[in-house]
Amino acid sequence: MDDTFDEMYGSDRGPQITIKEADNTHAQIALSNCDLSFANAFRRIMLAEIPTIAIDLVFIEANTSVIPDEFLSHRLGLIPLDSANIDDKLVYTRDCVCDQYCERCSVTLTLNARCTSDVPMTVYARDLAVQAGAQCGQPVITDPEGLGTIIAKLRKGQEIKLTCVAKKGIAKEHAKWSPVSAVAFEYDPHNKLRHTSYWYEEDAKAEWPPSKFADWEDPPQEGEVFDYDAVPNTFYMDVESVGSMAPDEIMQQGIKYLQQKLMDVMKGLNGEDQMEDDGGLRSPGADGGDYQMGGMGGGQGYETPFGGQDGRTPYGGGYGATTPYGTNGWA
Amino acid sequence: MSFGDEFLDNLLPPQEEEGKLRVRVLPGEEPGSASFQIDDEDHTLGNALRYMIMKNPHVEFCGYSIPHPSESVMNIRIQIYPEYEEETRPVDALMKGLDDLRDLCDVVEEKFVAARDSFNEEQGV
Ligand SMILES: [Zn+2]
Repeated sequence: MDDTFDEMYGSDRGPQITIKEADNTHAQIALSNCDLSFANAFRRIMLAEIPTIAIDLVFIEANTSVIPDEFLSHRLGLIPLDSANIDDKLVYTRDCVCDQYCERCSVTLTLNARCTSDVPMTVYARDLAVQAGAQCGQPVITDPEGLGTIIAKLRKGQEIKLTCVAKKGIAKEHAKWSPVSAVAFEYDPHNKLRHTSYWYEEDAKAEWPPSKFADWEDPPQEGEVFDYDAVPNTFYMDVESVGSMAPDEIMQQGIKYLQQKLMDVMKGLNGEDQMEDDGGLRSPGADGGDYQMGGMGGGQGYETPFGGQDGRTPYGGGYGATTPYGTNGWA
Repeated sequence: MSFGDEFLDNLLPPQEEEGKLRVRVLPGEEPGSASFQIDDEDHTLGNALRYMIMKNPHVEFCGYSIPHPSESVMNIRIQIYPEYEEETRPVDALMKGLDDLRDLCDVVEEKFVAARDSFNEEQGV
Protein backbone atom coordinates (compact mmCIF):
# COMPACT_ATOMS: atom_id res chain seq x y z
CA MET A 1 0.00 0.00 0.00
CA ASP A 2 1.36 3.43 -0.82
CA ASP A 3 1.12 6.56 1.27
CA THR A 4 -1.77 8.17 -0.50
CA PHE A 5 -4.34 6.36 1.56
CA ASP A 6 -2.84 7.44 4.87
CA GLU A 7 -2.47 10.97 3.60
CA MET A 8 -6.06 10.96 2.63
CA TYR A 9 -7.56 9.47 5.75
CA GLY A 10 -4.88 9.54 8.42
CA SER A 11 -3.54 6.20 9.48
CA ASP A 12 -5.85 5.95 12.50
CA ARG A 13 -9.06 6.45 10.68
CA GLY A 14 -9.16 3.99 7.87
CA PRO A 15 -12.21 1.80 7.41
CA GLN A 16 -13.14 -0.58 10.23
CA ILE A 17 -15.07 -3.83 10.15
CA THR A 18 -16.85 -5.42 13.08
CA ILE A 19 -18.59 -8.75 12.89
CA LYS A 20 -21.66 -8.72 15.05
CA GLU A 21 -23.06 -12.16 14.46
CA ALA A 22 -22.20 -14.97 12.07
CA ASP A 23 -22.96 -18.60 11.31
CA ASN A 24 -22.91 -20.71 8.18
CA THR A 25 -26.01 -19.08 6.68
CA HIS A 26 -25.60 -15.40 7.46
CA ALA A 27 -23.26 -12.75 8.81
CA GLN A 28 -23.97 -9.34 10.29
CA ILE A 29 -21.22 -6.82 9.87
CA ALA A 30 -20.68 -3.14 10.55
CA LEU A 31 -18.45 -1.31 8.09
CA SER A 32 -17.43 2.06 9.47
CA ASN A 33 -15.27 5.05 8.56
CA CYS A 34 -16.01 4.60 4.93
CA ASP A 35 -18.19 6.24 2.34
CA LEU A 36 -21.67 5.21 1.31
CA SER A 37 -20.51 4.72 -2.28
CA PHE A 38 -17.92 2.14 -1.26
CA ALA A 39 -20.25 0.28 1.09
CA ASN A 40 -22.82 0.17 -1.69
CA ALA A 41 -20.26 -1.10 -4.19
CA PHE A 42 -19.45 -3.89 -1.76
CA ARG A 43 -23.13 -4.76 -1.37
CA ARG A 44 -23.77 -4.72 -5.12
CA ILE A 45 -20.77 -6.87 -5.90
CA MET A 46 -21.84 -9.53 -3.39
CA LEU A 47 -25.30 -9.58 -4.94
CA ALA A 48 -24.38 -9.74 -8.58
CA GLU A 49 -20.75 -10.37 -9.42
CA ILE A 50 -19.44 -13.32 -7.45
CA PRO A 51 -19.26 -16.49 -9.54
CA THR A 52 -21.08 -19.61 -8.39
CA ILE A 53 -22.26 -22.73 -10.14
CA ALA A 54 -25.87 -23.31 -11.23
CA ILE A 55 -27.72 -25.56 -13.64
CA ASP A 56 -27.72 -23.91 -17.04
CA LEU A 57 -28.74 -26.59 -19.54
CA VAL A 58 -31.35 -29.30 -19.07
CA PHE A 59 -31.84 -32.21 -21.45
CA ILE A 60 -35.21 -33.73 -20.80
CA GLU A 61 -35.67 -37.32 -21.80
CA ALA A 62 -39.01 -37.84 -20.11
CA ASN A 63 -41.30 -35.56 -18.21
CA THR A 64 -44.80 -36.82 -17.63
CA SER A 65 -45.27 -34.77 -14.46
CA VAL A 66 -47.78 -31.92 -14.26
CA ILE A 67 -44.95 -29.40 -14.41
CA PRO A 68 -44.05 -28.28 -17.96
CA ASP A 69 -40.46 -28.71 -19.16
CA GLU A 70 -39.51 -25.04 -19.06
CA PHE A 71 -41.00 -24.60 -15.61
CA LEU A 72 -39.06 -27.61 -14.38
CA SER A 73 -35.84 -26.34 -15.96
CA HIS A 74 -36.26 -23.01 -14.28
CA ARG A 75 -36.73 -24.67 -10.90
CA LEU A 76 -33.62 -26.76 -11.46
CA GLY A 77 -31.62 -23.65 -12.30
CA LEU A 78 -32.55 -22.06 -8.98
CA ILE A 79 -31.32 -24.95 -6.81
CA PRO A 80 -28.23 -23.81 -4.88
CA LEU A 81 -25.20 -25.96 -5.69
CA ASP A 82 -22.02 -26.14 -3.65
CA SER A 83 -19.70 -23.42 -4.97
CA ALA A 84 -17.03 -23.23 -2.26
CA ASN A 85 -13.64 -22.29 -3.73
CA ILE A 86 -15.12 -22.50 -7.19
CA ASP A 87 -12.35 -20.41 -8.74
CA ASP A 88 -9.89 -23.23 -8.09
CA LYS A 89 -12.21 -25.87 -9.46
CA LEU A 90 -14.06 -24.61 -12.50
CA VAL A 91 -13.51 -22.22 -15.42
CA TYR A 92 -16.16 -20.34 -17.37
CA THR A 93 -17.36 -22.29 -20.39
CA ARG A 94 -16.51 -19.30 -22.59
CA ASP A 95 -12.88 -19.44 -21.40
CA CYS A 96 -12.60 -23.20 -21.85
CA VAL A 97 -10.88 -24.93 -24.73
CA CYS A 98 -13.76 -27.34 -25.30
CA ASP A 99 -16.43 -26.94 -27.97
CA GLN A 100 -19.50 -26.98 -25.76
CA TYR A 101 -18.83 -28.00 -22.18
CA CYS A 102 -16.54 -30.44 -20.46
CA GLU A 103 -15.36 -31.48 -17.00
CA ARG A 104 -13.17 -28.41 -16.65
CA CYS A 105 -16.06 -26.02 -17.12
CA SER A 106 -19.19 -27.89 -16.06
CA VAL A 107 -20.69 -30.42 -13.71
CA THR A 108 -23.33 -32.88 -14.88
CA LEU A 109 -26.25 -33.88 -12.67
CA THR A 110 -28.87 -36.46 -13.50
CA LEU A 111 -32.37 -36.91 -12.19
CA ASN A 112 -34.30 -40.11 -12.57
CA ALA A 113 -37.55 -40.35 -10.66
CA ARG A 114 -40.68 -42.41 -11.17
CA CYS A 115 -43.68 -42.79 -8.90
CA THR A 116 -44.91 -46.33 -8.56
CA SER A 117 -47.04 -46.10 -5.44
CA ASP A 118 -50.52 -44.74 -4.84
CA VAL A 119 -49.07 -42.11 -2.57
CA PRO A 120 -47.83 -39.03 -4.48
CA MET A 121 -44.07 -38.85 -4.52
CA THR A 122 -41.98 -35.73 -3.88
CA VAL A 123 -38.77 -35.22 -5.83
CA TYR A 124 -36.11 -33.39 -3.84
CA ALA A 125 -32.73 -31.86 -4.63
CA ARG A 126 -31.07 -34.84 -2.95
CA ASP A 127 -32.38 -36.98 -5.84
CA LEU A 128 -30.05 -35.16 -8.23
CA ALA A 129 -27.06 -37.42 -8.83
CA VAL A 130 -23.82 -35.52 -9.36
CA GLN A 131 -21.29 -36.91 -11.85
CA ALA A 132 -18.64 -39.05 -10.23
CA GLY A 133 -15.53 -37.17 -9.18
CA ALA A 134 -17.13 -33.72 -9.27
CA GLN A 135 -15.36 -31.31 -6.93
CA CYS A 136 -18.29 -28.95 -6.64
CA GLY A 137 -21.89 -28.66 -7.74
CA GLN A 138 -23.49 -30.94 -5.14
CA PRO A 139 -27.01 -29.72 -4.29
CA VAL A 140 -27.01 -27.74 -1.06
CA ILE A 141 -28.95 -29.55 1.63
CA THR A 142 -29.35 -27.87 4.99
CA ASP A 143 -32.61 -29.26 6.38
CA PRO A 144 -32.33 -31.82 9.20
CA GLU A 145 -34.05 -34.51 7.11
CA GLY A 146 -31.42 -34.12 4.40
CA LEU A 147 -33.91 -33.66 1.57
CA GLY A 148 -33.09 -30.29 0.07
CA THR A 149 -35.26 -28.17 -2.20
CA ILE A 150 -38.50 -29.63 -3.60
CA ILE A 151 -38.26 -30.00 -7.37
CA ALA A 152 -41.62 -31.56 -8.28
CA LYS A 153 -44.34 -33.94 -7.14
CA LEU A 154 -45.28 -37.06 -9.06
CA ARG A 155 -48.47 -39.13 -9.12
CA LYS A 156 -48.57 -42.83 -9.80
CA GLY A 157 -47.05 -43.63 -13.19
CA GLN A 158 -45.51 -40.19 -13.72
CA GLU A 159 -41.83 -39.87 -14.45
CA ILE A 160 -39.02 -37.35 -14.71
CA LYS A 161 -35.79 -38.31 -16.43
CA LEU A 162 -33.28 -35.66 -17.32
CA THR A 163 -29.65 -34.57 -17.43
CA CYS A 164 -28.53 -31.16 -16.21
CA VAL A 165 -25.35 -29.28 -17.04
CA ALA A 166 -24.30 -26.86 -14.34
CA LYS A 167 -21.95 -24.04 -15.31
CA LYS A 168 -20.10 -21.21 -13.65
CA GLY A 169 -21.65 -17.78 -13.93
CA ILE A 170 -22.53 -14.53 -12.20
CA ALA A 171 -25.85 -13.09 -11.08
CA LYS A 172 -25.47 -10.12 -13.41
CA GLU A 173 -26.35 -12.62 -16.13
CA HIS A 174 -28.98 -14.58 -14.22
CA ALA A 175 -30.05 -14.29 -10.57
CA LYS A 176 -29.69 -18.06 -10.11
CA TRP A 177 -25.94 -17.48 -9.85
CA SER A 178 -26.22 -15.16 -6.86
CA PRO A 179 -24.49 -16.51 -3.74
CA VAL A 180 -26.86 -14.51 -1.56
CA SER A 181 -30.60 -14.42 -1.12
CA ALA A 182 -30.29 -10.89 0.20
CA VAL A 183 -27.81 -8.41 1.57
CA ALA A 184 -29.55 -6.24 4.13
CA PHE A 185 -28.10 -2.75 4.15
CA GLU A 186 -28.74 0.01 6.64
CA TYR A 187 -27.19 3.14 8.09
CA ASP A 188 -28.17 5.70 10.72
CA PRO A 189 -30.69 3.50 12.60
CA HIS A 190 -31.90 6.44 14.68
CA ASN A 191 -32.50 8.57 11.60
CA LYS A 192 -30.35 11.37 13.00
CA LEU A 193 -29.47 12.41 9.46
CA ARG A 194 -33.17 12.64 8.58
CA HIS A 195 -32.65 10.78 5.32
CA THR A 196 -36.10 9.32 5.81
CA SER A 197 -39.31 10.39 7.43
CA TYR A 198 -41.47 7.92 9.27
CA TRP A 199 -45.16 7.75 8.51
CA TYR A 200 -47.20 7.64 11.70
CA GLU A 201 -50.69 7.85 13.10
CA GLU A 202 -49.95 9.45 16.44
CA ASP A 203 -46.35 8.92 17.45
CA ALA A 204 -43.66 7.69 15.07
CA LYS A 205 -41.42 6.57 17.93
CA ALA A 206 -44.07 4.35 19.47
CA GLU A 207 -45.28 2.93 16.17
CA TRP A 208 -41.95 2.03 14.54
CA PRO A 209 -39.94 -0.76 16.15
CA PRO A 210 -36.24 0.10 16.48
CA SER A 211 -33.84 -1.49 13.99
CA LYS A 212 -31.81 -4.47 15.14
CA PHE A 213 -28.76 -2.24 14.78
CA ALA A 214 -30.22 0.60 16.88
CA ASP A 215 -28.27 -0.30 20.02
CA TRP A 216 -25.04 -0.02 18.06
CA GLU A 217 -25.36 3.73 17.90
CA ASP A 218 -26.14 6.35 20.53
CA PRO A 219 -29.75 7.45 20.42
CA PRO A 220 -30.24 11.17 19.83
CA GLN A 221 -30.09 13.30 22.98
CA GLU A 222 -33.16 15.18 24.06
CA GLY A 223 -33.18 18.51 22.24
CA GLU A 224 -30.10 17.63 20.15
CA VAL A 225 -29.41 20.16 17.41
CA PHE A 226 -29.63 18.82 13.86
CA ASP A 227 -26.19 18.48 12.34
CA TYR A 228 -26.64 19.32 8.70
CA ASP A 229 -22.98 18.55 7.93
CA ALA A 230 -23.21 14.96 9.11
CA VAL A 231 -22.84 12.16 6.57
CA PRO A 232 -23.47 8.45 6.97
CA ASN A 233 -20.36 6.79 8.33
CA THR A 234 -21.27 3.33 9.55
CA PHE A 235 -23.05 0.76 7.42
CA TYR A 236 -24.71 -2.36 8.73
CA MET A 237 -25.01 -5.33 6.45
CA ASP A 238 -26.54 -8.73 6.86
CA VAL A 239 -25.26 -11.15 4.25
CA GLU A 240 -27.69 -14.02 3.81
CA SER A 241 -26.19 -16.90 1.89
CA VAL A 242 -28.31 -19.24 -0.24
CA GLY A 243 -25.98 -22.00 0.93
CA SER A 244 -23.73 -22.35 -2.09
CA MET A 245 -20.94 -20.47 -0.27
CA ALA A 246 -20.26 -19.56 3.35
CA PRO A 247 -20.96 -15.89 4.19
CA ASP A 248 -17.31 -15.47 5.07
CA GLU A 249 -16.23 -16.60 1.61
CA ILE A 250 -18.89 -14.39 -0.02
CA MET A 251 -17.51 -11.30 1.69
CA GLN A 252 -13.95 -12.15 0.82
CA GLN A 253 -14.83 -12.90 -2.77
CA GLY A 254 -16.71 -9.59 -2.84
CA ILE A 255 -13.57 -7.64 -2.09
CA LYS A 256 -11.57 -9.80 -4.47
CA TYR A 257 -13.92 -9.20 -7.38
CA LEU A 258 -14.11 -5.48 -6.64
CA GLN A 259 -10.34 -5.41 -6.97
CA GLN A 260 -10.51 -7.54 -10.08
CA LYS A 261 -12.92 -5.05 -11.60
CA LEU A 262 -10.54 -2.17 -10.86
CA MET A 263 -7.64 -4.07 -12.38
CA ASP A 264 -9.66 -4.76 -15.52
CA VAL A 265 -10.51 -1.10 -16.02
CA MET A 266 -6.89 -0.11 -15.37
CA LYS A 267 -5.80 -2.58 -17.99
CA GLY A 268 -8.37 -1.23 -20.40
CA LEU A 269 -7.06 2.26 -19.78
CA ASN A 270 -3.43 1.28 -20.03
CA GLY A 271 -3.70 -0.78 -23.17
CA GLU A 272 -3.43 -4.21 -21.57
CA ASP A 273 0.35 -4.41 -21.27
CA GLN A 274 1.58 -1.69 -18.94
CA MET A 275 0.36 -2.97 -15.61
CA GLU A 276 2.44 -6.03 -15.04
CA ASP A 277 5.95 -4.69 -15.64
CA ASP A 278 6.02 -1.52 -13.59
CA GLY A 279 4.05 -3.11 -10.81
CA GLY A 280 1.56 -0.33 -10.38
CA LEU A 281 0.95 3.18 -11.43
CA ARG A 282 2.73 6.41 -11.03
CA SER A 283 0.84 9.11 -9.26
CA PRO A 284 -0.12 12.10 -11.34
CA GLY A 285 2.67 14.63 -11.41
CA ALA A 286 5.35 12.17 -10.36
CA ASP A 287 8.08 11.97 -13.01
CA GLY A 288 5.98 13.93 -15.41
CA GLY A 289 3.19 11.42 -15.07
CA ASP A 290 3.34 10.31 -18.66
CA TYR A 291 1.52 7.05 -18.99
CA GLN A 292 1.96 5.03 -22.05
CA MET A 293 -1.39 5.90 -23.40
CA GLY A 294 -1.58 2.61 -25.23
CA GLY A 295 -5.30 2.19 -24.99
CA MET A 296 -6.02 5.65 -26.09
CA GLY A 297 -3.63 6.10 -28.92
CA GLY A 298 -0.44 7.22 -27.21
CA GLY A 299 1.36 10.48 -27.51
CA GLN A 300 -0.05 13.96 -27.40
CA GLY A 301 -3.70 14.70 -27.70
CA TYR A 302 -4.49 11.03 -27.55
CA GLU A 303 -6.36 9.87 -30.56
CA THR A 304 -9.85 8.83 -29.85
CA PRO A 305 -12.24 6.78 -31.86
CA PHE A 306 -14.29 9.94 -32.01
CA GLY A 307 -11.66 11.75 -33.99
CA GLY A 308 -8.90 14.05 -33.06
CA GLN A 309 -6.72 12.70 -35.81
CA ASP A 310 -6.95 15.41 -38.43
CA GLY A 311 -10.26 16.39 -36.98
CA ARG A 312 -12.21 13.54 -38.45
CA THR A 313 -15.35 12.59 -36.70
CA PRO A 314 -17.79 9.84 -37.41
CA TYR A 315 -20.22 12.62 -38.15
CA GLY A 316 -18.29 13.61 -41.21
CA GLY A 317 -16.54 16.86 -41.83
CA GLY A 318 -12.80 16.68 -42.03
CA TYR A 319 -12.86 14.09 -44.80
CA GLY A 320 -12.49 16.92 -47.27
CA ALA A 321 -16.11 17.77 -46.69
CA THR A 322 -17.16 14.36 -47.90
CA THR A 323 -19.87 13.09 -45.66
CA PRO A 324 -21.44 9.68 -45.72
CA TYR A 325 -24.13 11.36 -47.73
CA GLY A 326 -21.38 12.25 -50.14
CA THR A 327 -20.76 14.91 -52.67
CA ASN A 328 -19.39 12.40 -55.10
CA GLY A 329 -21.60 9.96 -56.80
CA TRP A 330 -25.02 11.08 -55.85
CA ALA A 331 -24.82 14.83 -55.76
CA MET B 1 -27.64 -31.19 -28.05
CA SER B 2 -26.22 -28.65 -30.45
CA PHE B 3 -29.71 -27.33 -30.96
CA GLY B 4 -29.70 -26.03 -27.42
CA ASP B 5 -26.41 -24.25 -27.79
CA GLU B 6 -27.19 -22.58 -31.08
CA PHE B 7 -30.36 -21.32 -29.54
CA LEU B 8 -28.41 -19.88 -26.63
CA ASP B 9 -25.81 -18.31 -28.91
CA ASN B 10 -28.54 -16.39 -30.63
CA LEU B 11 -29.66 -14.99 -27.32
CA LEU B 12 -26.22 -13.70 -26.39
CA PRO B 13 -25.22 -10.15 -27.26
CA PRO B 14 -23.06 -9.82 -30.37
CA GLN B 15 -19.33 -10.18 -29.76
CA GLU B 16 -17.42 -6.95 -29.23
CA GLU B 17 -15.78 -5.80 -32.41
CA GLU B 18 -12.10 -6.58 -32.56
CA GLY B 19 -9.82 -3.84 -31.26
CA LYS B 20 -12.57 -1.77 -29.74
CA LEU B 21 -11.30 -0.10 -26.59
CA ARG B 22 -13.03 -0.77 -23.30
CA VAL B 23 -12.24 2.70 -22.02
CA ARG B 24 -12.76 5.51 -24.47
CA VAL B 25 -12.48 9.29 -24.41
CA LEU B 26 -15.69 10.98 -25.42
CA PRO B 27 -15.70 13.92 -27.85
CA GLY B 28 -15.11 17.37 -26.42
CA GLU B 29 -11.94 16.62 -24.53
CA GLU B 30 -9.85 19.59 -23.36
CA PRO B 31 -6.55 19.83 -21.43
CA GLY B 32 -8.20 20.05 -18.02
CA SER B 33 -11.36 18.13 -18.66
CA ALA B 34 -12.53 14.95 -20.28
CA SER B 35 -15.34 12.46 -20.26
CA PHE B 36 -14.61 8.78 -20.47
CA GLN B 37 -16.81 5.91 -21.45
CA ILE B 38 -16.26 2.52 -19.86
CA ASP B 39 -17.91 -0.62 -21.20
CA ASP B 40 -19.72 -3.08 -18.96
CA GLU B 41 -19.56 -1.02 -15.81
CA ASP B 42 -22.42 0.32 -13.72
CA HIS B 43 -23.18 1.98 -10.38
CA THR B 44 -21.04 -0.59 -8.57
CA LEU B 45 -17.88 0.99 -9.91
CA GLY B 46 -19.30 4.34 -10.97
CA ASN B 47 -20.28 5.82 -7.65
CA ALA B 48 -17.30 4.52 -5.69
CA LEU B 49 -14.89 5.72 -8.37
CA ARG B 50 -16.60 9.09 -8.58
CA TYR B 51 -16.18 9.47 -4.82
CA MET B 52 -12.51 8.51 -4.95
CA ILE B 53 -11.73 10.87 -7.81
CA MET B 54 -13.48 13.72 -6.00
CA LYS B 55 -11.13 13.09 -3.05
CA ASN B 56 -8.20 14.08 -5.29
CA PRO B 57 -7.37 17.70 -4.39
CA HIS B 58 -6.51 18.47 -8.03
CA VAL B 59 -9.98 17.53 -9.16
CA GLU B 60 -12.60 20.23 -9.38
CA PHE B 61 -15.45 18.03 -10.53
CA CYS B 62 -16.21 14.40 -11.12
CA GLY B 63 -19.55 12.89 -11.99
CA TYR B 64 -20.78 9.71 -13.57
CA SER B 65 -23.85 8.55 -15.38
CA ILE B 66 -25.37 5.53 -17.00
CA PRO B 67 -26.79 7.15 -20.13
CA HIS B 68 -29.31 4.44 -20.85
CA PRO B 69 -30.24 1.33 -18.85
CA SER B 70 -30.20 -0.96 -21.87
CA GLU B 71 -26.70 0.02 -22.95
CA SER B 72 -24.05 -1.40 -20.63
CA VAL B 73 -21.78 1.62 -20.58
CA MET B 74 -20.86 4.09 -17.92
CA ASN B 75 -19.73 7.68 -18.58
CA ILE B 76 -17.47 9.49 -16.16
CA ARG B 77 -16.60 13.19 -16.37
CA ILE B 78 -13.49 14.67 -14.78
CA GLN B 79 -12.51 18.33 -14.55
CA ILE B 80 -9.19 19.50 -13.11
CA TYR B 81 -8.68 22.84 -11.35
CA PRO B 82 -7.02 25.16 -13.92
CA GLU B 83 -3.96 25.63 -11.68
CA TYR B 84 -3.27 21.88 -11.71
CA GLU B 85 -3.93 21.31 -15.41
CA GLU B 86 -0.22 21.11 -16.14
CA GLU B 87 0.55 18.30 -13.71
CA THR B 88 -2.67 16.34 -13.73
CA ARG B 89 -4.53 15.32 -16.83
CA PRO B 90 -8.04 13.92 -16.48
CA VAL B 91 -6.69 10.46 -17.36
CA ASP B 92 -4.19 10.72 -14.55
CA ALA B 93 -6.97 11.53 -12.11
CA LEU B 94 -8.98 8.58 -13.40
CA MET B 95 -6.00 6.27 -12.95
CA LYS B 96 -5.30 7.61 -9.51
CA GLY B 97 -8.93 7.12 -8.55
CA LEU B 98 -8.79 3.48 -9.61
CA ASP B 99 -5.51 2.99 -7.81
CA ASP B 100 -6.77 4.60 -4.60
CA LEU B 101 -9.90 2.51 -4.69
CA ARG B 102 -7.72 -0.56 -4.97
CA ASP B 103 -5.77 0.55 -1.91
CA LEU B 104 -9.04 1.00 -0.06
CA CYS B 105 -10.02 -2.55 -1.02
CA ASP B 106 -6.69 -3.81 0.31
CA VAL B 107 -7.33 -2.15 3.66
CA VAL B 108 -10.89 -3.42 3.86
CA GLU B 109 -9.75 -6.94 3.08
CA GLU B 110 -7.08 -6.74 5.77
CA LYS B 111 -9.60 -5.43 8.29
CA PHE B 112 -12.12 -8.06 7.31
CA VAL B 113 -9.71 -10.94 7.77
CA ALA B 114 -8.66 -9.56 11.16
CA ALA B 115 -12.28 -9.10 12.27
CA ARG B 116 -13.21 -12.60 11.13
CA ASP B 117 -10.27 -14.20 12.87
CA SER B 118 -10.95 -12.46 16.17
CA PHE B 119 -14.66 -13.29 15.86
CA ASN B 120 -13.84 -16.95 15.28
CA GLU B 121 -11.50 -16.93 18.23
CA GLU B 122 -14.18 -15.48 20.50
CA GLN B 123 -16.62 -18.11 19.32
CA GLY B 124 -14.03 -20.79 19.89
CA VAL B 125 -14.09 -21.97 16.26
ZN1 LIG C 1 -14.95 -27.02 -21.12
